[in-house]
Amino acid sequence: MRTVKEPGSAHGGLSDWYWQRLSAVVLAFLLPLSFLLMLMVFSGAVDQQGLLDILDHVASRVLHTLLILALMVHAYMGLKVILEDYVHMLAWRIPLIATMLVLMSGFGIWWLALIWAWA
Amino acid sequence: MNEQPVKYHRPLSPRISIYRWRAPMLASIAHRASGVALVLFVPLYLWLLHGMTSSPDHYDATLTWLHSLPGKCSLWFVGVALVYHFSNGIRFLLIDVGWGESRKMMRFSALVVLFIAALASLMFAWLLFL
Repeated sequence: MRTVKEPGSAHGGLSDWYWQRLSAVVLAFLLPLSFLLMLMVFSGAVDQQGLLDILDHVASRVLHTLLILALMVHAYMGLKVILEDYVHMLAWRIPLIATMLVLMSGFGIWWLALIWAWA
Repeated sequence: MNEQPVKYHRPLSPRISIYRWRAPMLASIAHRASGVALVLFVPLYLWLLHGMTSSPDHYDATLTWLHSLPGKCSLWFVGVALVYHFSNGIRFLLIDVGWGESRKMMRFSALVVLFIAALASLMFAWLLFL
């Protein structure tokens, strides 16, 4: 990055680069936590009441929300780069990226609703 | 962006079929593959979360599915993908801040993350199936 002088013709290069890494750092902390919780549920170390107690806590709701937001940003940018690399026809690429964005927003909203639904 | 006429076929961007395979290249492609695998797991995770936060019957059914062969295989797959994407992601971040940018270090660190993923695949197999 020290030697990069031109941010690219769309001038969005640095912003994408920065957001991809910021979300990566957030995910590096939060994603292993949720995976560990899932393994604990799998092994029986946490039962349903225990799981609900953990998920109900306001701290884990906030962390879960941050996780979802970071995941949406990170996955959108990652998949966008992959599509831009392998789908060369603009007539396919643009609708594909748009469809992906709409689908992922839908999943994100549904997930947020699940997290905040029960009082 | 693609400004050439459609008739002109450029090679695909990361030229998998042209360059000789090296550890950093494998690490890079595997980062993409594991990333896509993790995204595909998101709907399944939502379904699991939905089942586990509703009635006790739903919870038991979800847990039973998680202990079935497809459930265990999904957990194994997502576990390995997560460990790999996590380790190689940290490697990418370290390279971004200027650590290990030499060719030799890039090859060495690529081998390290691939080894960690191989180790994780054995560990999760032992954890889930034995």
